[in-house]
Amino acid sequence: MSAIQFEDASRLFERDGKTFPALENVNFTVADKEFVALVGPSGCGKTTCLRMAAGFEVPTAGRVLVGGMQVPGPGPDRAVVFQQFALFPWKSVEDNIAFGLRNKNMAAEERRRRVSGVIKLMGLESYETAFPHQLSGGMQQRVAIARAYVLDPQVLLMDEPFGALDAQTRIVMQEELVRIARVNPRTVLFITHAVEEAVYLADRVAVMTRRPGRIKEILDVRAIRAAENWDRHERVEDVMDLESFVHLRTHIWRLLRDEKMALDG
Amino acid sequence: MHISRRLAIGTATIVTLLVLWPVLTLVTGTIDTGRFPSPLQFWQSLRQIVTVGYADGTLWQHAMQSLKLVVMGFVVAVSFGIPLGLLMGWSRRAEAFINPIFLLIRPIPPLAWIPLAILWLGLGDAAKIMVIFFAAFVPAVINTFTGIRTIEPHIIEAARMLGTGRSRLVVEVLVPGAAPMIFTGLRLSLQASWTTLVAAELVGAITGLGRVLNVAQTDIYPAMVLVGMVAVGVLGWATTRVLAGIESRLMPWLSVRA
Amino acid sequence: MHVNRNPLPSKVEAFSLGMAGLACFVAIWVAASISGLVPRQFLPTPWEVALRTYNLLWEPFAGATLPVHLARSFERFASGFTLAAAVGVPLGLLMGWFRWLDDMITPVFDGLRFISPIAWVPFAALWFGTGLGGPILIIFSGAFPPCLINAYRGARFVDRTYIEAAQMLGTGNRRTILHVLLPASFPAIVAGLRIGAGLGWQSLVGAELIVASAGVGYMMVQGQSNISTRTVMAGMIAIGVVGLVIDVALRQLEAFVRRRRGLR
Repeated sequence: MSAIQFEDASRLFERDGKTFPALENVNFTVADKEFVALVGPSGCGKTTCLRMAAGFEVPTAGRVLVGGMQVPGPGPDRAVVFQQFALFPWKSVEDNIAFGLRNKNMAAEERRRRVSGVIKLMGLESYETAFPHQLSGGMQQRVAIARAYVLDPQVLLMDEPFGALDAQTRIVMQEELVRIARVNPRTVLFITHAVEEAVYLADRVAVMTRRPGRIKEILDVRAIRAAENWDRHERVEDVMDLESFVHLRTHIWRLLRDEKMALDG
Repeated sequence: MHISRRLAIGTATIVTLLVLWPVLTLVTGTIDTGRFPSPLQFWQSLRQIVTVGYADGTLWQHAMQSLKLVVMGFVVAVSFGIPLGLLMGWSRRAEAFINPIFLLIRPIPPLAWIPLAILWLGLGDAAKIMVIFFAAFVPAVINTFTGIRTIEPHIIEAARMLGTGRSRLVVEVLVPGAAPMIFTGLRLSLQASWTTLVAAELVGAITGLGRVLNVAQTDIYPAMVLVGMVAVGVLGWATTRVLAGIESRLMPWLSVRA
Repeated sequence: MHVNRNPLPSKVEAFSLGMAGLACFVAIWVAASISGLVPRQFLPTPWEVALRTYNLLWEPFAGATLPVHLARSFERFASGFTLAAAVGVPLGLLMGWFRWLDDMITPVFDGLRFISPIAWVPFAALWFGTGLGGPILIIFSGAFPPCLINAYRGARFVDRTYIEAAQMLGTGNRRTILHVLLPASFPAIVAGLRIGAGLGWQSLVGAELIVASAGVGYMMVQGQSNISTRTVMAGMIAIGVVGLVIDVALRQLEAFVRRRRGLR
């Protein structure tokens, strides 16, 4: 069991000696092996939610539980894919990927097997000995995803992983992620501010309010996907053209616009 | 092409200076050779110190003595400085504890330690190494410290997420992450080591390039002074190149073309 | 930056840790001195050094009181530094603007770079004896490179758009340098001055140890010959304090310039 539970989670942050609430009473659950996308206006605290689940930050009130237990700190059971990639520039692609496995004291033979498996999965063959700065953004993010995947984690936390990529690369990565997720489903919390991306990838989409963030609404995409049989289309653009997709997307846009207007008005 | 123009002008300037040197000293007498040597005098002094010796030693002996002290002082300073910088960079507590002491020692120019070193340790090698230590220690600590602090936070977070134990974290994440700045610190330390060594030897020494300079000054022998200066410059350049070589061996990922 | 597993120490905690560190340092010093581990002559206690420093404010040693020695040193420093800045900054700006000048001077400069300022002391002594010229030469060789390099970098890497705007407005060379390059490189120039001042002050100390008849360095050498460790340490403190004051003053100037530029 590896569900993520946010129970009345709140977080204050400090600036210039004053405290501001970043999150206030966030309540939602990512069920075991469910893919949940978290969207919201800039600064609403969605990254903070992810960081609490990852163990980089601690809620100032309420609790964040993974697998029924409070998050003790960061660890390979909750693998993180960072927006900025966070690869080690001084290690080659395969050393970057293997690093987490070495920390688990995995035997060399097994390690090699797993690493080459995931390199194949992410299409990184022939780049094994390259250094990160020799690769394009898309390739680097693949390495970052491979590094998380090879750990075979219960939980995958992805913080705007495709944010730094150009539009075309982004689409390719989205399709790949869907493909991989089908092969080996696991609990995923995916942060993005691109609504289409969220609707395309997720089982459910949680929409956050502006700061201090809390959950405004949660939409069940899986039901609609099944009902409208989105999976008959292979290409992202075909799915995004469907009326049911557009409907859902527009609904979320409206929710976000409410939040923006409340901010401005 | 721009690059070869730069090379051409640069070479032309150096050649001009090299031509002016004998002309102004030997031919026109514009420069008094009592103050600055002619190329001929320089060459003669060079031959003298290489073959017969000067100030109780040949050029080789003096150079090796100076080089020996610089390397020893540098290595000791760096062996203490880098770990201390790593500690202060990683632990805010260690930084808070050590920083005030550091702030006290820092404003004292390395050369100002020379009289104290001579008082404590005499005119031998130990005093020189002590002074070089103080000179080379500070840049090593500061740059290592800054190197750790400027590692992208997400890299550290990624390392923690991947379950990295403490020693692996230091060896495979912190040190490589800080490595570029550590080497900047090493370059500064080496520079400081040479400056301090020459000064220390000028004040009081038995052999060494600084001693050569000192004796030449007392003997009013400008040509030998120039030989000493050139020797210092050449050794400084050579040791810097060695350090650069080590740098590119240890940090291969920086030299690979994207 | 929340890098470490441990939370950041609070300001109070940091302060008390700092005080604890200083206390340890002083304690070790006092213990080594009092216990006789190191002969008292060679390691006076902190208060003995403080007392000596105080005494030197009134009592002359090696020809003058401490403030007088400091004044002499500072005089030389100021002259040498002013010269270094007066030559280095304009030259750096010109090198940044006129590419041919850069091509000409940089190779020569790179060659001379490896000769540390102190190595010029013998020539300084030969040419100027114990006169003012000697120390000025040394200070110049220490302070000149940073002044030059920073002015050069400031000018070379000025935002192209400023230059283009000036060219579009039909500005001649002299005006461009004075009214565009110079103001734009100001922060870099001031940073260079600060570094140059630090190196210049250090080089001065070195020079005075070797060739001088007055000044703090000279006082320290006399102290050493007379085995008066307190005097030597008093000199070190004085040098450190003045160096710190110079650095702080220039940092303030740097901050002031940055604020006026809105670079903060």
